[in-house]
Amino acid sequence: MTRQMNPTDRAKRQYMVRFVIAMIAYIAIIIPVSTAAAHTSGALRIALAMTPLIPIAVLFISAVVMIRSVDELERQIHIEALAISAGLTALLALTYGLLEVAGFPHPSAWITYCVLMFTWGITVPFVSRRYKG
Amino acid sequence: MKNRIRVLRAEHDWSQAQVADLLGIARQTVNALETGKYAPSLPLAFKISRLFSKPVEEIFDPDSVEE
Repeated sequence: MTRQMNPTDRAKRQYMVRFVIAMIAYIAIIIPVSTAAAHTSGALRIALAMTPLIPIAVLFISAVVMIRSVDELERQIHIEALAISAGLTALLALTYGLLEVAGFPHPSAWITYCVLMFTWGITVPFVSRRYKG
Repeated sequence: MKNRIRVLRAEHDWSQAQVADLLGIARQTVNALETGKYAPSLPLAFKISRLFSKPVEEIFDPDSVEE
């Protein structure tokens, strides 16, 4: 007998598949596109520089679909983890902003996105522990 | 919130995975419900009630809300 996957497990699996595909696409295009953008100018340069945004947009849509498709506890865990990670990101951004006053280098704005995604990823298991028997 | 889900599941001889599939939720959520770590929403409570053919108040103990 083949067991059908329930909607929550299916949504999480679909998200993981889309996440891996989006990341592979991002890594595959980031260097060639950046190199090509460096040798062009004007609107084409802007268009090329924006190309890596496509897999990231797919990733964003996949995350929204996943959060809407999982069951209520999973959704609560993710929303709680996102709230905590947003707070952590704000705290880290403020801390680094103060360190910049002390002479630390000025980083690119996109690092904030990476910090948010990273802290979200590490916060989910901690929030989940509260609901484990 | 304390409840009788584990007892009712055992009476039906169902595994947590089977109950999860019947309710359309994750197995971990069934475990969180059984251990009282998570209080379900009203729609999920009614789904559980229908699954075990018992009124909600016979499954969940409203006087035992846990932190």
